[in-house]
This record gives sequence, C-alpha cells and structure tokens, in this order.
Amino acid sequence: MDNALVLMEGIEKSFPGVQALSQGYLELRPGEVHALLGENGAGKSTLVKILTGIYQKDAGRIVYKGQEVEIPNPRTAQDLGISIVHQELNLMPHLTIAQNIFIGREPRKGLRFVLDEQEINAKTQQLFDMMHLKLAPRTKVADLTVAKQQMVEIAKALSFNSQVLIMDEPTAALTDTEIQDLFRIIRQLRAKGVGIVHISHRLEELRQIADRATIMRDGRYINTVQIQDVTIPQIISMMVGRTIYEATPEAPETADQNVVLEVRNLSRGRVLKDISFQLRRGEILGVAGLVGAGRTEMARAVFGADPIDSGETYVAGKKVSIKSPSDAVQHGIGYLSEDRKRYGAALGLDVEANIALSAFNKFLKYLGWVDRPKTRSTAQHFVEALAIKTPSVRQKVKNLSGGNQQKVIIGKWLTADTDVLIFDEPTRGIDVGAKSEIYKLLNDLAQQGKAIIMISSELPEILRMSHRVIVMCEGRITGELPITAATQEKIMHYATQREAYI
Amino acid sequence: MAVSVPQRRLQVRADAMQTVLAFAALIVLFVVFSLASPNFLQFSNIVGILLATAVNGVLALGVTFVIITGGIDLSIGTVMTFAAVMTGLVITNWQLPVALGVLAGLGAGAFAGLINGLIIAKLKIPPFIATLGMLNVARGLALVLSDLKPVYFTDTPIFNTIAMGSLLGAIIPGFNIPNAVLILFGAAMVASVILNKTILGRYTFALGSNEEAARLSGVNVDRWKIAVYTLTGLFSGLAGVLIASRLNSAQPALGQGYELDAIAAAVIGGTSLSGGEGSILGTIIGAFIISTLTNGLRILSVPQEWQTVVTGAIVIIAVYLDIVRRRK
Amino acid sequence: MKSKRLFAMLSALVAAMVLASCGAAPTTSDQGGAAPAGSQQAANQQAGSAQAGNEPYVAIISKGFQHQFWQAVQSGAEQAAADLNVRVTYEGPENESQVDKQIEMLQAALDRKPQAICFAALDSKAAIPLLEQAKAANIPVVGFDSGVDSDIPVTTAATDNIAAAGAAADKMAEMIGGAGEIALIVHDQTSATGIGRRDGFVKRIEEKHPNIKIVDIQYGGGDHLKSTDLAKAIIQAHPNLKGFFGANEGSAIGVLNAVKETGKEGQITVIGYDSGKQQLDAVRSGAAAGAITQDPIGIGRKCVESAVKAINGEQLPKTIDTGFHYYDKTNMDSEQIKPLLYE
Repeated sequence: MDNALVLMEGIEKSFPGVQALSQGYLELRPGEVHALLGENGAGKSTLVKILTGIYQKDAGRIVYKGQEVEIPNPRTAQDLGISIVHQELNLMPHLTIAQNIFIGREPRKGLRFVLDEQEINAKTQQLFDMMHLKLAPRTKVADLTVAKQQMVEIAKALSFNSQVLIMDEPTAALTDTEIQDLFRIIRQLRAKGVGIVHISHRLEELRQIADRATIMRDGRYINTVQIQDVTIPQIISMMVGRTIYEATPEAPETADQNVVLEVRNLSRGRVLKDISFQLRRGEILGVAGLVGAGRTEMARAVFGADPIDSGETYVAGKKVSIKSPSDAVQHGIGYLSEDRKRYGAALGLDVEANIALSAFNKFLKYLGWVDRPKTRSTAQHFVEALAIKTPSVRQKVKNLSGGNQQKVIIGKWLTADTDVLIFDEPTRGIDVGAKSEIYKLLNDLAQQGKAIIMISSELPEILRMSHRVIVMCEGRITGELPITAATQEKIMHYATQREAYI
Repeated sequence: MAVSVPQRRLQVRADAMQTVLAFAALIVLFVVFSLASPNFLQFSNIVGILLATAVNGVLALGVTFVIITGGIDLSIGTVMTFAAVMTGLVITNWQLPVALGVLAGLGAGAFAGLINGLIIAKLKIPPFIATLGMLNVARGLALVLSDLKPVYFTDTPIFNTIAMGSLLGAIIPGFNIPNAVLILFGAAMVASVILNKTILGRYTFALGSNEEAARLSGVNVDRWKIAVYTLTGLFSGLAGVLIASRLNSAQPALGQGYELDAIAAAVIGGTSLSGGEGSILGTIIGAFIISTLTNGLRILSVPQEWQTVVTGAIVIIAVYLDIVRRRK
Repeated sequence: MKSKRLFAMLSALVAAMVLASCGAAPTTSDQGGAAPAGSQQAANQQAGSAQAGNEPYVAIISKGFQHQFWQAVQSGAEQAAADLNVRVTYEGPENESQVDKQIEMLQAALDRKPQAICFAALDSKAAIPLLEQAKAANIPVVGFDSGVDSDIPVTTAATDNIAAAGAAADKMAEMIGGAGEIALIVHDQTSATGIGRRDGFVKRIEEKHPNIKIVDIQYGGGDHLKSTDLAKAIIQAHPNLKGFFGANEGSAIGVLNAVKETGKEGQITVIGYDSGKQQLDAVRSGAAAGAITQDPIGIGRKCVESAVKAINGEQLPKTIDTGFHYYDKTNMDSEQIKPLLYE
C-alpha cells in the first residue's frame, strides 16, 4: 500500500435524491492496469469523475503520490498528471487532430495572441511517433473513424505527461483489431510506470490486459482482486451479487423457411456495394464486421433512413418501395439504433409516450385525439412483459438505465406490430445483468416468429445469439456462415477481406 | 489507414465548396447583369456596389464570429445605430475631436457586445433571447441619447471623409474608391487573421464545434464567449462609424433589419448556423452577392418586391446546398 | 421544472414578438425617415398626469409619437388646447405599422371617456368597430392626417397628398424644361401617404407633361442608406436622368446623397418632401431645388379646434385641407413658410 500512486478512501457522494457513492475505495499502483468493474449505476463513473475534478466529493480523502490532495476542477487534475478518456468522445470535429490535442494550451508566438500552428503539429507528430500511431496531425477529426478518434483522445490524455490514465469504456466502440492496437499502447504505458484505470463491460478483455480489478456494486466498494486469481463467473457474481451463467450459448433454433425480408443488389455510393441477403421468419441473423464496414449503413438503407442508388427490397415475397422510415414501418420493419440517445428514444418523453410513438395512429380516436387509457394500458403491458424497471409508465426515459431504455424501444416496435426488427448493437453500454435479459428477449422474440437482424461488434455476442452470420467488409458482404460453422477466426477472416485495389 | 489521405483531401475540398459556389454565383450575377445592361459593368457602378457593401459587410464580418461559435447576434443592427449616435454626441454635441468620436463609436459597439457576452455566458441566457433584448435596449438608447433627432456632422467636414474621402484617389488620380471600401477590406483582413491565426479564432471554432469538449479541456469557455461577442460588438461599432460618416448624420431610427442582411451574407458565404464552420472570405462574398443583386436588379428596373424574394430564395438555396454537401 | 416551463412560455412569447416586429420593421413613417421606437410610454404618462378638471378633455391618437413631424402636430394641438382652454392627451404607437397597438390606445382612450377624440388612423378599416362605440357613447371623432373609411368622423383635417405631390410634379416639369427622364424614390408602396404622393406625382406628369418620362419608381423604406444606394443604381442605369423626386424626408436625403456621390450635382434636379436639417441645408445651398412642406402645426391646431366645435355641436365640413406649400431657397425664410419647417 505504500507504493500506491492513488489512494481514494471513504469517498462519499450524493446527488439530489441519490446516494451515488458510499465508502468508495480505489488503490492504484504505478505500472498496473487496474480494471474498475460494476454494473451501470454501480458508481464507477462517479468515482473517476471525483478523481478527475469533474465532481466534488462530499467526504473522504484522495492521496496522490503519498500526499493528500484536493482536486477542485479538471485543470487541477491535469496539472497533477491525472487524465481521463471519457466514455463519450469529447472532441471538436471541425478542428484538426493537433488542434484538438492542444486545445486550451496552445503554444503561442508573437504577442501571446498568435497561434504557433507548426509547433502544435510537430508536438502531435512526436506524440504519435511515441505511440507508433500512423495519423496525420492536420487531419480533421470529423474525417476519422470512431476508433481513430478514440486514439486521439488517448493521445491527448498522454500529452499531459500523465501518471494516471483513466479510460472509461474505451473499447465500447472499437472492433477487435482496434482493441488490440489500444491494448498495445496500454502495455507500453504500463511499462513506463503509468497507472491505468480501465472501465469496461467486456469482461473477456480483462485477462488480456488487466492486472488487478476493483469491483463495485450499488455505489459501494466490494473487493479488489488479482485477475489471475479469479474466474469471470466469480467476478460477475461479485458485480451482480448473484450468479449468472453468461457464457453458455443458447442452442440455435432452426429457422423455418418463410423468407420475410429479402434484399437484392442494394448499393449506395461508396458505402454499400451490391448487398443481397434473405431473412427468414423466427431467425436471428447476425451481422459482423469491423467498425466502418457498412453494417449500420446497410441497416439504415434497408430501413429507408438513407437514400439508395439501386437495389430491391421484398417483404414476404412482394417487391416494395421503401423510401423513408415511415414506409419501412408500414411494411413491418423496425430499426433499433446503436445510438439510443440520438435516434432511438425520445429521452425527454415518458415510457408511455415512447411506446406509443411508432404507432400513434393506433391510439387515435377522432380529430387527432389520443386515446390515453389505451396508450396507458399498452405501455403497462409491455413494462410487465419486457420486465422494464421503471417506477411508472410516466417516468421519463432519460431517467432509466441503458438496458431499460433499450427495452422501451423494443416495446415501441412491438407495439407497431413489426415483423422484422433490426437491432444495431443492442447491448452497447448495457451492463452484464441487463445484457442477458436482452439476449433472452431476443430469443423469445425469434421464437414468437419475429425475424431479427442483429448487428454487433462483439464476436461472442454474435456467436452466442445468431442462427446465421453474415460478415461485411468495406460495404460488401464478404461471407455468410451457418452458426454451426462460425468461429471467431472465420468471421475475422471475412471481416478483413478487403477488395483488391486495381 | 491507406484511404485516409485521399479522404482528407476530398473533405477539405468539400469544406471550401460553399465559398467556391458562392464565388461562382457572384461571377454569374456579374455576367448576367453585364449582358443585360450596358450600365452595369462600369467603374462608377462597381464602386457603387463596393460602397453599398461596406456597412453590411462590416456587420457580417462581426456576426460571422458569433455564428461560428454556434450563437447568434440579433442586436448588431441597432448596436450599430447606438454606436453612430454615440459618435454624433461626442463630435457634434460635446464638440470633442473627431478621433475621440470614432473611438466612442467603436467603444459603444464593443461595450454592447461585452454586455451581450456577459448575459449569455454568465446568466446562461440563450444568445437568441439575450441579443434580442439588446436589440431593443440599443434601439431605445439610441433614441433617448439623440433625443429622437438625427445628429448631424455638418460642422466637422473631416468626419464625412472617413467613409467618403478617397485615399486611393489621392494617390492614383481618377481611381476614386471611397475609404469605406478600404475600411471594409481592411476589416476583413483583420477578421481573417483573428479567425485563422489567433487563439481567439481557434476558440471561436472550438466553441461552435463542441463546447463541452472545450470546457473539459480546461478552456475558460465563458471568458472566450464574452470575448467573441465583444469582438462582434466592435465590428458593429465600426459599422456605426461608417454609416454615420457616409450619411453625414447619425439617424437614430435606422438599423433594424440590418442584422438579417448581415446574417444572410454570412450564411450565403458558407457559415454554418449550427456552428463550427465559416470563413471570412465566404462572408465577404456573401455580402457582395447581396449588394450586387440589389444593384443589378435596380439597374434592370426589376420591381423591388421581387428583389427581397430573390435574396430570400438565395439564402434558402445556400443553406440547402450546405446540407446536401454535409449529407455526403 | 416549473422554471423550465416558464422559460418555454417566455421563449414563445418572445418569438411571437419577433415575428410581430419583423412584420412591422420595413414599413415606416410616412412623413419622414424610418419611425423609431418606443415613446408611447411617455405619452401614457402624460395621459395619466392629466388632471381631471372641468375643462373639456380631448384624447388625441396619432400615428406616431417620436418623429419630428408628429411632435410638430403635437405642439400645434397643445397650442390650440391652451388657446381654447381644453385638456388634451397625445399618444401614438412606436411605428406606423402597429395597427394593433393603435387600436389598443384608442380603446384605452375611449375608456377614459373624453368629450372628443382626434384620431389619425393607421388602418382606415380596423378602427371602425371602436369608432362605432364612440358614436354610441356620443363622443365625436375628428380624423386627422388621413381619413377613415366611414362617415363617423365629423370631419378630417389632413394634407391633400395627391394635390401636394401634383404641385411637386409641376415644379419638376418647370425646372427641367418640360421634357426628359425623371425618377422617384418613395418610402413605401403600401401606406396611404406613399401611394397618394406617388400617384399624385405620376398622374400629374402623365396628364400635363407628356414629354417627361418616369423611368423608375423605387421604395427605400424611408431608410437613408438604402434610399441612397437605390438612387445611385437608378442614376447609374439612366445616365440622362434630369430630375429626381424623393417622396419623404429619408427618400429625399437618399436622392441628395446619391446625386452627390455620383458627381451629378447641377445635372439632376431634386425635389423633396417635408423638412429636416439636411434637407433644409440642401435647399438653402441649392443642392435641392425645393421641397413640399405640409403644415403639421396646422394639422394639430385644426383637429383640436374641430374637436371643440364638435363638442359645442357646431356643424363641420367633411374635410379640412390643412394646406401645403412648395418652398425653395427664395421663400424658406419667409414668415409664411418658416414656422412650418423643422430641423
């Protein structure tokens, strides 16, 4: 304990109405990767936000390099050498990489008012060289993939000469190869003696990267363990306070043969090239691929959210024209966006309104009057059927956890009587307990005869849930595998099968 | 990634696209009007267009900054009037030196901008509402201070030469371009340096691109926001001095509606109302499009009602092109 | 929560105000430059401070308050009030498109139960229901400046804009020798004064001066700067232009600026309308040939005098022409004209 880089103990923090943290504890040593684990709402983010000066603790103490410190604002944390890479990317898309990294501490020349752009770019290049990153400092951040943006965030954190680097779900948006890149950089830093706090929901990663883990539950400290001493089920049971057999794959159902959706030769600019596939009743079709492979774009094109250049769509054998999401809904196709906050749910509205949203015309009486008792009872029905944890159907969706938000959106599409559901990263940012509930729900839906397309970046999820897998790379479908033949290696093979340059 | 380099080049080109399009539109206007009337493409008329752009152009330069931050300033027109009246009070009513009057005008503009900035940054009132309030405050102050009467500069003929004299004409005989035009281009150059080379410009873009990210990076967001609004006010002050000098009087009732032409100029020039994007060159071209259009349609004796219709349509087309380009 | 809702309501209110004022902005005062803002409060105070005495009370609702023209009307009204021993209040909306505000003022004035009302309607039809009320309450209404489409007003004291602009047209013809190209800058194409002056001028040229060609008519909103740039473009388009009529103060100043900036002094004959320092200076220096002046003091006077006559039950003619005059540097300092001019 003497060699601790950071020691947080007895940390208390409450927000109006909620005790977010009680007796929070974290001990970080130099040169270790320390996983911080817990379900959503366990208090992980609150703890690291206190360490980085974004929140102020109500009680407790923080010891940094042997000295008790106060961290009243983010600036102080940075000056101490404590940096954070936030869960949500905090970059300015209109500025270049270098401008983003040095925002707020630009080198100046002349009358201390003129920017030294050359210096910024040179320093950024040095940083990238050190990280073995191949990025041009003058590239606009808007032109980068999410993964590269994540790298920029990390480079920015490192540019403060950080002793402590906190990463809040850095891998959530990354594909496996990108995660390996990230881990390479993390190992380099660890070798240099930097203490790294790693928050992630992907427990499979822990063995690869983490040395120790601190587990939290309901705002409390539970335990700190050496990773090699514990199994993942043990960690999960500490996180959820009960045992979950997460890793058991469900036996894939044999889909019956009715094709409910068929897409032929769908193309859209440089993004989608000649996409064709069939979807059968009761089937879960997994769509795998790296970030940027065009999976979301494919889903959006099928759903009518983006215009297409060519291609045909057949619903239940009949050719249909889907030019807008409302066309898609009419043909019984629903889309659950990967970005729930931006596209999926009307966060400011309550559960009832969200569930009724896609099918409001079902609830209209006359003259546009909404039949409130009916929306109420429908919402009530789905809250029970989907086990949505909410105090009432009048609760605003933004106050629900990620998993429950996802369920509300599912409820919305079920209300609209959709036969085809396209799930885009259905468990992103959802904690372990809620994940298995979502999985169960998907299986139930398939059994009831819904046809499901599930886009996921997590290969274990694809392998566990799908009946059939298609793999995309650079806008094309590069492979299709029945689940019995699918392995991580095969999928990755197809996912990296790039078109030969002519 | 192998594809990142060509992608980047493409993006840069797309960014400049709006400015290029606006410039092309300006050229088209010139060609069309020149063919339609022999009286259009004449030195005196070109000078007329340049001069007619001066006041709106300077206002547009200022408002470009706040629009890039993702804000808006509706008060620029009446702040201009307020500044003009302050200049008049100092020079005519208090009989102080002309230079002092000019400083008073610039100062009055900057002060109004400072108040805008303080209200927006510290009281967290949305820019639309805050500057709408300032629009009325400045209009009222201009009326009160002037006692509802125009202030004339007839006793200080030098003041009129600020806008209407011709330094260039004195150097090159016959090349009588009024100083107001020089001031417009000078102001544009200063604005361009501030926007592209200085810390203030960098944070102008940063605020518009992702204010929260800037805040979390330790940027004193409030302070820079105040600075940007103050700068916009300063440009309004300059516009006030220009309009007073050109009309040789401070007209307390003018100014309302000027903000819309200035905002239109910035938008036509490619400044994005959602923030993060914009250029000084684009704004200047936008301002010239508006005044060329006004002038050309006048020369062709097109009924004036149609001119406002055309300007409005151009703004919508400009914003639409911006959206189309973004979608790709 | 509550404050959020309040904020939303406020925002909506503000948005509505913006819409209203946007609609209002372009149209401007008829007698002068763009009409500035908000002084009706001062007027209201005045109304409030008026002590209830035994003398008759006349409420005057004008089209504006802040412009010098309306101030001159007010001073005429107050002179007459002092002479005749009546009490008056004088108020008007911020600018001349605020028909709704003016109606509210008229309503408020009715509620104060005056012995008579003097009213310069912004919209000649919108006020009719209230005028009916006045009639029912036996309060005589005197129109001034422009008429009301109704026979309720016992009389209307106004300048004959058509005749005045016609006189300006005759002067123009005389000075350019009865032939050549001329143009007009008018303050707007919708107000009664804008239309009257434009049509009065145009009609007289067409009827009596067939060799004169009107090449362009443009509308500058009474805005000095916009009128200047408009006039310049017209001069550019028509190099042979011989005469230019500015139909109100702002328009006339714009024309004068344009002539000066294009170096056409002495080649283009400028005739203006109303006064103002710049216009008076231009007339005095010869930059402008002359201008039409109304008699704002006379308008104020006549309307109060008529109101008193109406209270006393006297019969009045349907209209009272308050007169106009053409002035130039030879007569502008004469005893007849000088009192009508304002700086």
